[in-house]
Amino acid sequence: MFIEIGHFAVITALVLSVVGMVSPVLGLKTRNPVWVRIARQAITINFFLLSIGIASLIYSYLTHDYSVQYVAATSNSKLPIFYKVAGVWGGHEGSLLLWVWILSTFCTIAAWLHWKTQPAIMPYLLAVESLIMFGFLTLIVFLSSPFERLFPAPLDGKDLNPLLQDPAMVVHPPMLYMGYVGFSIPFAFAMAALFSGRLGEEWVKVTQRWTLFAWMCLTTGVLMGGYWAYYELGWGGYWGWDPVENASFMPWLVGTAFLHSVMVQEKRRMFKVWNLFLIILTFSLSLIGTFLVRSGVLSSVHTFATDPGRGLYILVFLAIMLTLGFGSLILRSGKLKSQIEMDSIISKESAFLFNNLFFLIAAITVFLGTLYPLLVETLQFQKVTVGPPYYNSVFMPVALGLILLMGIGPYIPWRQASPENLRRTFLIPAIIGIGSAVSLAFMGIRSLYALAGMAVVFFVLSVILLDIAKISSLWARRDQSNYLVGFYRAFTMNQRRYAGIITHLGVLVLVVGIIASTIYQTERVVLMQPGDDLQIKAYTLKFMGAQEVQGPNWVAQEGVFNVYQGSRFITQMRPQKRIYTVSQTPTTESAIYTINMGHLFLTMPEISPEGARVRALINPLILWVWYGGGIMGLGVVLNIFRLRRKEVTVSSTATLSPGPASASGGGLADETVAPHGSPHRDVALNLPPPRRKEA
Amino acid sequence: MIRAWHIALLLGVVGLLTLFYKGLWGDPRAIPTVLVGTPAPTFSGPEVNTGEIISLNHFSGKVVVMNFWASWCFECQQEHENLLAINRRFGSDPNFVMLGINYQDREEDARNYLKVYGNNFNHVRDLKGTISIDFGVYGVPETFVLDQQGIIRYKQVGPIIGPVYTHLTEKVIQPLLQGPLPQAL
Repeated sequence: MFIEIGHFAVITALVLSVVGMVSPVLGLKTRNPVWVRIARQAITINFFLLSIGIASLIYSYLTHDYSVQYVAATSNSKLPIFYKVAGVWGGHEGSLLLWVWILSTFCTIAAWLHWKTQPAIMPYLLAVESLIMFGFLTLIVFLSSPFERLFPAPLDGKDLNPLLQDPAMVVHPPMLYMGYVGFSIPFAFAMAALFSGRLGEEWVKVTQRWTLFAWMCLTTGVLMGGYWAYYELGWGGYWGWDPVENASFMPWLVGTAFLHSVMVQEKRRMFKVWNLFLIILTFSLSLIGTFLVRSGVLSSVHTFATDPGRGLYILVFLAIMLTLGFGSLILRSGKLKSQIEMDSIISKESAFLFNNLFFLIAAITVFLGTLYPLLVETLQFQKVTVGPPYYNSVFMPVALGLILLMGIGPYIPWRQASPENLRRTFLIPAIIGIGSAVSLAFMGIRSLYALAGMAVVFFVLSVILLDIAKISSLWARRDQSNYLVGFYRAFTMNQRRYAGIITHLGVLVLVVGIIASTIYQTERVVLMQPGDDLQIKAYTLKFMGAQEVQGPNWVAQEGVFNVYQGSRFITQMRPQKRIYTVSQTPTTESAIYTINMGHLFLTMPEISPEGARVRALINPLILWVWYGGGIMGLGVVLNIFRLRRKEVTVSSTATLSPGPASASGGGLADETVAPHGSPHRDVALNLPPPRRKEA
Repeated sequence: MIRAWHIALLLGVVGLLTLFYKGLWGDPRAIPTVLVGTPAPTFSGPEVNTGEIISLNHFSGKVVVMNFWASWCFECQQEHENLLAINRRFGSDPNFVMLGINYQDREEDARNYLKVYGNNFNHVRDLKGTISIDFGVYGVPETFVLDQQGIIRYKQVGPIIGPVYTHLTEKVIQPLLQGPLPQAL
């Protein structure tokens, strides 16, 4: 019964999404705001209807209603309750429902949040969002409904895919979807700007927090997916360049480029067409990702049901969105010219330009690698697999360039940097960077990638720290306080900039984690009998024996290993070889022990009368990958929830500044820029405006 | 200049959509092979670890499961445990043989792969890909099942994981092993 209510609610939502599309257009035609109000109500009601849809599905899971086909396919009476709820997005149909529910949530928030401030944009925004919602609801209602009944009802369900039975599963897909869908808000604003002709800086400013939020969700989703793969798939790595991973990585790359390049439009009114292009591309890539994952055109470790009919529908929808997005960009972009030309190649503008270029090259690299098998197959050549070697050789240099830019972009002034300025800001860090590489080489590190990576990391780190030291001491001197208070003042005065810097520091941590855990991984694989020892680095693993263990919906052979450092006992590790009883699927459960932020990683891929095949890995500093992600997230949170402060005009900044004008070579974002050719420009560039008026 | 960009953008979008459309009809997993239902081409080659020559003729009258793999293929790693499980389950049956075909791989890499991921059956080296061409292999991994008469009964493109594994063991190998032997006729 409940499932029918949910089904009905979702069908009603489909009808209302048509209302949401049509009525703003009528409103524009008739110039009657009532129509726009109707669209807002439709979107708001849709949020509640889709919530009912999801709730009815969750209810069916909790009450073991296996007459619902989707529940029967992805649940089982023995499945722990935790995963019964997560089972909602454990399959294709339910994850689409989650996708569209998140979309309706965001739309509703956006409609109410920007209703007063963006009346001119609102009809377009509502119509575009309703169109996206309509596209996905049609797919759900007609082609992949999670509400179908099964007759006769099976006694029990087929169980959730064992690989999905993991705590990360509860958070990872919703996070990814929030990222994908979150980018639909800036996308809709961009489309609204194109349609309405209001192509100023406003849409960029309004969507800035939305973009950051979507970016944070996507970053979290991608990193969590990596962590999940790391301990669940049991191969000891967190990134395999699989098509589905790439599908989430491509919008991330372009979205990151967008995130940076909007600052140039905000401050310098440049890159206007470019930013529209980037956000349209970001959201298109989210949709392309959905298509690639859901249509089954590519072979991937993530197995999803393949259905050409469904794939064809998504493709048609994708075609409509791409045509709409890029088509209106082409038609409208004639109106857009950057009002200011670039002054010099050695400037913040060009740092941003290179940032964009590198991110785009990275995205193209991933895109080509992902689609290459499809391309080759279509052109009737032999089938091929593009492996990690391709990605690593092309991607690494671009990544190095991007990290290097993190040390340059935020610290080089707008317009043109003088040689004096460059020397002051970058000379010492460059020496530190090169020096660190040389000393690491003397310490025995031979990998060229590791040395280059660490040189760049140290360079960027010292640029950041020197800048913070300078600005803190200036504020400390000005307020006659200590450095910590000075730093706090500097931070709160320009929170957007320093929150961004925190995110950059997080990236550095992540990069060190990646370098250490991939290049300095140690692996041992041996066949062991009970009583045997395995030596890996400074650790000895003693195989005590294997035993049968029983879980709620699985049985397992569990190996017991005592771990010693020298002769000192540290811990006991228990990797498992599980068989999920319902689906008869074997999985390998890893055992992980943390040592100095690295991992001792143990799996037992095979157990037989000859003994247990044991694979032991030491992944040094691997936790830095996710700690770095955490720091990046913290930076974004501080950025989103910063205090609003008044825009300070150029002249007041110039006269009231405490004088640290030359301390840092230009703000990351939140500084005021003097008009072109202003005599004050050097002074006005990077100043945190003082809080008290002294003059 | 701007016009050129517009055209490039349009061409890119149209090309991409065409590619996707074409891709929809070519399912990467289930490429139909004309070979199913026909006698398997015979072959021989050196074993990966021992170098001993193995020929398909050695196994006439047996159900043969052939798995094409390579050390550079990630999906092969995903299915490898299941391959070991298949051989553990059926390996004791005198009418069952499991064979790996190591496709275009360096010997050293292949050996190391088997050391890392475990091994309980023989693997024939196919350095130049000739065996693979005879069997119409598109990529790795692919798995074939031959019945007692040496006729290809089943082909799987992509890894043997999840439902594919259950189908292969319960619906393909098990019935073939229980089927009447030709000698008995």
